[in-house]
Amino acid sequence: MADRLAMSPTATLAVGVRAPTADIYAPQWRNVIFVAPFLFFFTTLLLFPLLWGMWLSFHKADTFSSGNFVGLGNYARLYHDKVFLQSIWNTFYFVLLTVPTLALIGLFLALCLNRRTRTAAVLRTLFFSSSVLSVTIVTLIWRIVFIPNVGLLSTIYGWFGATAPAFISDPSLAMVGIAIATIWWCIGLPMMLFLSALQQIPQDIYEAAALDNANRWQTLRSITLPSIKRTFILVIIIQIVLQFQLFGQAWLMTRGGPNNLTKPIVLYIYDTAFRRWDLGLGAAASEILFILILVAAMAQYLVTRSRGDQA
Amino acid sequence: MKLKKILFAAVSAGAMMLAAPSFAATELSVQRFFGACDADFGTNTDATKAVGECGIITSLINKFNADNPDVHVNVTTVEWPGYDQLTAQFASGDAPDIVTIHESVLSDYQSKGLLMPLDDLLKSVGVTPDAFTDAARNGATKDGKIYGLPIDSWTMLYHVNMDLFKQAGLVNADGTPIFPKSPEELLAQAEQFKQKTGKPYFVQNLTNETALYTRNLYTYLFQQDSDFFADPKHVKLNTPEAKKVVEMYKAIFEKGYTTKDLDYGGSINAFLAGEGGVHLNGTWVVGDYNAQSETKGTALNKGGYAVYPYPQLFGGAHAQYADGHTWAVSQKDRTPEQIAAIGKFLKFFADNDFEWSRTGHLPAYKAVITSDAFKALPHRNTISAVADLGRPLPSAVQRQFAIQDIIGEEMSAAISGQKDVDTALADMESRVNELLANI
Repeated sequence: MADRLAMSPTATLAVGVRAPTADIYAPQWRNVIFVAPFLFFFTTLLLFPLLWGMWLSFHKADTFSSGNFVGLGNYARLYHDKVFLQSIWNTFYFVLLTVPTLALIGLFLALCLNRRTRTAAVLRTLFFSSSVLSVTIVTLIWRIVFIPNVGLLSTIYGWFGATAPAFISDPSLAMVGIAIATIWWCIGLPMMLFLSALQQIPQDIYEAAALDNANRWQTLRSITLPSIKRTFILVIIIQIVLQFQLFGQAWLMTRGGPNNLTKPIVLYIYDTAFRRWDLGLGAAASEILFILILVAAMAQYLVTRSRGDQA
Repeated sequence: MKLKKILFAAVSAGAMMLAAPSFAATELSVQRFFGACDADFGTNTDATKAVGECGIITSLINKFNADNPDVHVNVTTVEWPGYDQLTAQFASGDAPDIVTIHESVLSDYQSKGLLMPLDDLLKSVGVTPDAFTDAARNGATKDGKIYGLPIDSWTMLYHVNMDLFKQAGLVNADGTPIFPKSPEELLAQAEQFKQKTGKPYFVQNLTNETALYTRNLYTYLFQQDSDFFADPKHVKLNTPEAKKVVEMYKAIFEKGYTTKDLDYGGSINAFLAGEGGVHLNGTWVVGDYNAQSETKGTALNKGGYAVYPYPQLFGGAHAQYADGHTWAVSQKDRTPEQIAAIGKFLKFFADNDFEWSRTGHLPAYKAVITSDAFKALPHRNTISAVADLGRPLPSAVQRQFAIQDIIGEEMSAAISGQKDVDTALADMESRVNELLANI
């Protein structure tokens, strides 16, 4: 030991003499230290849970014990579970209801409020203000609107002697009710994204169009819309990823009912894993959701990339 | 120098004395449902002045804290029933010391070794299981040991608006309400009620709800002697008996004999506003409704409020679904002081069960249920029968709240016409059995 310690300074010196210019870009193990903090959190908070979730999905496990290996048993159970299949459809239906509406209303609001007047500034703030609320407050507000007999909607319908539609309990309206609350809540972000895109369109193009006697519709179709195409796609991607994860609104407004018609996949996972303690089945359902979001995100990515290339 | 030392010693002693009580107090974490009402009862220590579940339990815990300076109880209030949080807390090793658990749910946690058997602790503070009512003792006993201090037995009841019953001509000569004796009679009386008053017979919370449907089904299955949980691991619900019950409630819904689209809060408001004859709700609102009926100008004050067990509609056993609330203690390493503090808390609730029974729940102690003070409480002469009628599911049935959700979902779909009755019953049975097979 003592010999080795005595030897080492000489060895270093010898190396230093032979290679005076060390390649500072050469891979060195000690560089791992620089990425270690990131790797630590990435592994413990993302990679490990991801792999553990996969492992769990092949086991019959409950909240307090991990049981036997069941292979694809949990996935087979999901395949035969009508409620799970219903929840997948519900999630897609919800995305279909909210994403196009959010994009179109967001665009419409941005077009209307893209002015330098004080009213426009106030209205922009107002429309964005709902986004800062938590999901609990949002659902509370909309429950007060939708609640039968004493709700805002019932009161307004009552003035005309009509009965308000039952947005929380009617099977065909419950998801629409949740979508309305969600659109009201989420409209701020698409509007802001569109506004910023609109403000980046060079004014001289509009001046040229005005000189060419183009009317408003022509200007919108030929100048504004093509100029914000990329933002439009961005809004769609962001909203698809966001709305796929529907949970709070459905849980707080309808508890997934009536007859599981508003139960999204995340709520199904919560129900199975945490309320029925069937952790293996919940983990399997999470893997399916993971794949669905992955496919949706990849599809969007491919579409954007090819369109980007063409442009 | 000497003076300085004396002064220093005096100040130190003073500081020690001031700080001593807060250091000595043993902290207990208590988690409960029953709602939050700190605005009304946050500082009240006189339980006799409190009304309703929330008011009484808040005041009782305040009183316990005031009476026991050596123990400090920190209360966390969770939304009913709070089992999602509790499960997560157990899983992360951060469970509260004492927690409200339904008797029907005790076995879920007990079977995983998460709860502390209380026999010895209760004995050490002088509470013995023979003091409990039979229903309470059976509900709190799992594998021969007590796993929760029972505080009540509860069930669903017919809460009656007597003014509307009088208008409908459904009152006997002695002033008591006339109740049906068969499903056919129920539909006929509901029709008569609707004709005479223009209002639905039932006020029910059918939206965002599963428990009400399930409890109704259990009650009328018991009354038909249907042994649907003969095997605690396998339910039989696709039966003619279950079909009769679901079809009865479906007819009530279709013919407009019930309020629709109301959630729990909405149904209470509707009943208090006099929008229907019978509110199907639990023992826990008896105290509140009685207080309403004594307030001038309310719908219940107009013609009076009465409350009864569910009527016997079928020829089988005289029974209805019942459950109970308990204080359970989580399994943890504790100091003797902490265990003694828990014992004090449980003893306090055993001693004050009469105050809790003013909510409308039936007492869990023989001495209270037979006491004159309890019998003198309003409406207890009509609802005490539940002590004999009440019947829980077999205690070996696990995941009873999850089962309740499945049955409720399917019943709701059948009653509102989203599914036909046979499909709903078949789905209900297969979903519950799938759940039980995978525990």
